[in-house]
Amino acid sequence: MSEKNMEKLVKEFLKQVKEKLPEWLKDNKKELRDILDELREHIWAKAEELSGIGQPTEDSIRIAIAHMGTPQSIAKEYKRRGTPKIYITEELFPLYRKWLIAVITIIIILNIFSFIMEIILGDWNWSIDLDIFINILLAFVIITVIFVALSMEGYLPEDFKSKKEIQKEKRELEIAKERGLPISPKTGKPFKPIVKPAEKIVGGVITIVFGIILLTLPFPGIEDLINPAFLLIIRVMGVYIVVDGGIDVIRGILGNQVIIGQQITLVLKVGLAIAWIPLLIIILNSPEIIPIISYNGNSNIWYSIQIPIEYHEAFRNIIAVIIAITVISAIYNVYKAGTLEKYKTKY
Amino acid sequence: MIKRVKDYGNALLASKEFRNFVEKFESEINRGISKLCILSIIAQSNSAGIHGYQILKILEEKTDEILIIEEGTLYPILRKLKDDGIITSKKEKIGRKRTFYFMTEAGNKIYNYISGYFSKLTEAISSLFDVQVSLRQDRYIFCPMCANKLDRRDKELRFCDVCGHNIEKELKERSEMK
Repeated sequence: MSEKNMEKLVKEFLKQVKEKLPEWLKDNKKELRDILDELREHIWAKAEELSGIGQPTEDSIRIAIAHMGTPQSIAKEYKRRGTPKIYITEELFPLYRKWLIAVITIIIILNIFSFIMEIILGDWNWSIDLDIFINILLAFVIITVIFVALSMEGYLPEDFKSKKEIQKEKRELEIAKERGLPISPKTGKPFKPIVKPAEKIVGGVITIVFGIILLTLPFPGIEDLINPAFLLIIRVMGVYIVVDGGIDVIRGILGNQVIIGQQITLVLKVGLAIAWIPLLIIILNSPEIIPIISYNGNSNIWYSIQIPIEYHEAFRNIIAVIIAITVISAIYNVYKAGTLEKYKTKY
Repeated sequence: MIKRVKDYGNALLASKEFRNFVEKFESEINRGISKLCILSIIAQSNSAGIHGYQILKILEEKTDEILIIEEGTLYPILRKLKDDGIITSKKEKIGRKRTFYFMTEAGNKIYNYISGYFSKLTEAISSLFDVQVSLRQDRYIFCPMCANKLDRRDKELRFCDVCGHNIEKELKERSEMK
C-alpha cells in the first residue's frame, strides 16, 4: 500500500479531530499545530510498532488510529477545563454574573427612560407593563444559555483576554506578592481593592450636594408646583442622600486598610436601604402625588402635570422593580461586609 | 477493562444498563488514577524527559494492560498538566520532532503529595476489598498529618514540606524498629 494512502488516512483523522476541537483552541494556531503534530507522530510510531516489520502498513495505520479514540473523545478531553458549578463552570461564573447584571441594568434603564418618554410625549404607544419583566427573563435565559454552551466547550475567562491583559494580570499578581497584599486562594489573583478612595470621596461629595439640593429645593416657585406630601418625601429623600454621600466620603477616607470600618459603613448602608423602602411604598401607592414638571416656551412658564391614570400600573411596576433592587442591594451589602473578612487574613 | 470484552453472549454485560453503568464507573475510577500514573511515569523519567507514545507504552506494560486510556486523550491530559505548571515540555528540533515532557519543581512536590495520599488511601481501603497492600516503609515516610510521601534517604529530612509537620518522632521510631 502506498505511503500516499496511509498519509491520507492520517490526514483524514486529524482533519476530523481539528473539526471537533473547541474554537478557543483553534484560535491559537501554534497550539493547534503542535497538537496535530503530536497526534500524527503518535499514530506513525504506533503503526510502525504494530506492523512488526519496522514500517507502517495501511492496516497498522488503521489500528493505530482506532487506538487513538474517536475525534469526539479527544476533543471532549480538551473541553474538560473548568470546575463544574451548576452547568456553568466556576471560572466563568463571575463573568456570567457581570453580564447578567450589566444587561439587566441596561434593560431597566431603557424601560424607565421609555416610560418617561411615554408620559411626556403622550402618544408613545409602547406598553411596558409586562415588557420589563419579559425582557429581564429573556436576557437571563439568553445569557445563561450562552454561558452554559461556553462552559461545555471548555472556555475559560482568559480565552476572552488579549495577551497584553494576561501579562498585566501577571504583573499585578507579582506586585501583590511583593507587597504582601491578600491573594484569593480560589482564583490565585490579588483581591480587588475594597474602595477607590478618591473616587469614593468625590462621588460622596457630589451625592451630598445633590441631597442638599433636594433638601432645600433652591428653585424659586418650585414648591408651588409640587404636592405638599411629595415635597415632604423629597426632603426626606434629600436627608437619606446626604447620609449616603457622607457614608461614601467616610469609606473613601477609611481606605483599604481599615477593614472593620468598611464593614461598619456597609452595615450603615444596609440600614439606609431599609429606610428607603417605606418611602418607596408610599410613592408606589400614591402615583397621583408625583408631579411631572414641564416648561412651556410660548407662555414662558413652568407647569406641573400628574401621571395619567392609565400609566399608574406601569409606574407601580417600575417602583416595584426599584424596591426589589433596593432589597437586593441591602442583601448584597450584608454579603459584601461578610466577604471583607477574607481581607483580614494575611497571605 | 470492560471495553476489552467483545463477545457478551448471555452474560451480564449483554444488558445495556449494566454495561453502561459499569463502563461509566470504570472511567470515573480511571480518570484520576490515569493522571497520577502518567505523572509517575514522567517523574521517573527524571531530566531525560519522556514523549507521549513512550508514556503510553510504559503505562500498558506496568499495569499489565489493565489501565488503558484512549491514546488520543493522553495529549489533552498532558496539556492540562502543563497549563497547571506541573509539567513542562520541549519539542525536538531535529528528527521526528517529538515533544518531551518533564516534571517541574512544583510538579514534583505536588506529585509526591498526591502519590503519598493515594498510597495511604489504597492501604486504608484495602481491607474493604480483601486485598493486601504493603507500603515501602523502608524507603518512604508518609507524613502522619497530610500523607505526603517523603524519601527517607534525604538526610536533611525533619519537616514535611507540604504541611510543615515535624516528622522527627516518626523517623526516630523507624530507627528504633530497625
